[in-house]
Amino acid sequence: MNKLTKKVVVVGGGIAGWLTAGRLAAKHKSNTEQGLTVVLVESPNIPAIGVGEGTWPTMRSTLSALGISETDFIRECDASFKQGAKFAKWVDGSEDDFYYHPLVLPQGFSQGDLAAHWLAKQGQAGTKSFSEDVCFQESVCENGLAPKTIRTPEFAAVANYAYHLDSVKFSVFLQKHCTEKLGVTHIIDNVTGVNSAPNGDISSVSTENNADITGDLFVDCTGFSSLLLGQHYQVPFKSCSDVLFIDTALAVQVPYDDADSPIASHTVSTGQEAGWIWDIGLQHRRGVGYVYSSKYSSEEQAREVLAKYVGDKFSSLTVRKIPIVSGHREKMWQNNCVAVGLSAGFLEPLEASALVMVELSAQMISEQLPQSRDIMDIAAKRFNETFLYRWEKIIDFLKLHYILSKRTDNAFWTDNRNPESIPESLKEAMALWQYRAPADHDFTSNNEVFPAASYQYVLYGMGFKSDYSQNTYALDNIDFAQHQFAQNKKLTDKAVSTLPKNRELINKIIEFGFNRI
Amino acid sequence: MASLVAVDNKKHLNTKVDLNKVEHHGANLPLIPVVLAEFIHLAVQYPIVLTKNGDTGQFVFSAMLGFEENENLFWQQAQWQGLYVPLQIRRQPFFVETSDAKHHNELAVCLNTDSPAISEEIGQALFDEKGDESSYFKTVKANLTQLLLGEKENKVLIATLTSMALIKPMSLDITFMNQSATKLAGLYTIDEVKLAALNNEQVLSLHQSGLLSAIHTMMISLGQIHTLIDLKNKSLS
Repeated sequence: MNKLTKKVVVVGGGIAGWLTAGRLAAKHKSNTEQGLTVVLVESPNIPAIGVGEGTWPTMRSTLSALGISETDFIRECDASFKQGAKFAKWVDGSEDDFYYHPLVLPQGFSQGDLAAHWLAKQGQAGTKSFSEDVCFQESVCENGLAPKTIRTPEFAAVANYAYHLDSVKFSVFLQKHCTEKLGVTHIIDNVTGVNSAPNGDISSVSTENNADITGDLFVDCTGFSSLLLGQHYQVPFKSCSDVLFIDTALAVQVPYDDADSPIASHTVSTGQEAGWIWDIGLQHRRGVGYVYSSKYSSEEQAREVLAKYVGDKFSSLTVRKIPIVSGHREKMWQNNCVAVGLSAGFLEPLEASALVMVELSAQMISEQLPQSRDIMDIAAKRFNETFLYRWEKIIDFLKLHYILSKRTDNAFWTDNRNPESIPESLKEAMALWQYRAPADHDFTSNNEVFPAASYQYVLYGMGFKSDYSQNTYALDNIDFAQHQFAQNKKLTDKAVSTLPKNRELINKIIEFGFNRI
Repeated sequence: MASLVAVDNKKHLNTKVDLNKVEHHGANLPLIPVVLAEFIHLAVQYPIVLTKNGDTGQFVFSAMLGFEENENLFWQQAQWQGLYVPLQIRRQPFFVETSDAKHHNELAVCLNTDSPAISEEIGQALFDEKGDESSYFKTVKANLTQLLLGEKENKVLIATLTSMALIKPMSLDITFMNQSATKLAGLYTIDEVKLAALNNEQVLSLHQSGLLSAIHTMMISLGQIHTLIDLKNKSLS
């Protein structure tokens, strides 16, 4: 049986559903006669989860691939700019304890390793934090500045950037674009059953009010319920709660003091007694949430921590409690069914990995869409290898933040450093980095999610020291290093003196918009 | 900051404007905003390019007069050497208060009292002894009106160019006679390839709206870059 892939059925709306449907429809010309048929069926009753307000810079190429205007996106999704994350109180919990994981690579990163030189100048007058000494973006964020000007074309950057967005608005925005521009068929109905073909494939899904919806490929975007992959195919869930302890989130939406309040152009993640608080600035409100481990904190304690962080406004806000089950399915693609989004897995939002995994999945499915059933198993195998690797690497990278902490105020932090909770792959990498900085050769797969630079920012931001005493010749290219440090200083001064405030640029985008060129 | 005062025939009965000094307002401007109606006059000597307004990021048409900050190569020996002086210069030191114009559909003409061209001794009077507008002041008002209308025409042309994706960044690497080099950024022009690829309907609509000739004038005017390079080389030798 060699059935051609002519019709894809996406089950579930939300950002995962619409991004996948959109990428498929855009790539395979669903708005033309010969194009792929893409149907998205979503329940009228299931509310959007509404988490995942931080993105990666990849979102710029995703939006661009969908043919979306950045101006429209920013105007309609309450979006603002994100230039990385500021981690506060992660090392020792003191008031001045913070470091940055910016989105711009360390200065001169492709030409040489500044980390060794930065480590060597510890204790010298004028030495600042790693992120400030090697990257101009920290100063841009600390000054509340935008990553570009109104003259910069759509999606182009002065400083690499991602977005903060209102996920509910983004979902509606994507739906409109996908149905009106890209030719995605939208069916609002409850899926009541999954029907199998003799070979075990899904032949169709039954619905309450419509006929059975047949398809050649089914995309499971049903969120935590994982209706197709989890419930129908019974693909086991691989928990990683032994590595990452967070299991609950308390989220609130905090209004600004007034319409002109500054908007932070980075995510702030502040360590707390049993987890950490995210703080994300949108145009009209902040999204704030405490993610914690219920093993180390009662809900009542957690509410107090969140209340203290938010301040006076807290009493008037609605607190939403969201369970977090950390982990992923053992496979993402089974037969003719592939899961994207929460149905595939979820990890605490420490590095905004949820949306980027959706984007990467949607991109790979659309770019490698098997033309016919007989090659689909090959595509499935590769997809599973790719994404299992990515899940593992994200888990390693998230855990890295915890094992470098020196906090002792709660067993949450000390238990996180228990070697038994640390994946072998991370232990191996840490062993190597005792003597040198993370480098590109540590990350040789095409499927890497976090590059060596990200590891450097976290390691040296959190006070880790690689010991170069046995190969001091690593410091021979001192001229190069001094030039790069000076160059960074120059770029910092220039950026700080020329970039507008984040709020100011957002206002200009609303009034004038970006040009495409 | 310029201090703008609304013109009236009592306060400014004796005010005079020295035309020789008016052109001085353009002495240090490498780019001067221009309107569509001027294109044909400009193209004889100056390249007409698109730049982005620093405040709004929106495209504006500009005549190019120099290669670097504060350089107007047509300003020599304390005089404007070009054949045509852009309206933006000629209307100096007058401005239109547009916020009022919006509501009353009437132009409120303002005067920049800081302008070196203004005195009570030398130049053209705004009013006669009876307080009636002089022919000079009438010309000034006509210029201002032309600029205001021109802004509207500019907007239509820019919206058309943007919607048809006919604008492209211009990259210019120029080495002058003394081997000094300059790389110009932030300038845009017509994308000839995309212009040539327009369908009949699009070309017809450009033609009927009168924009096609403006587009061609812009393209032809780019040849005047060589005029600028010549002037620059002369100033270097």
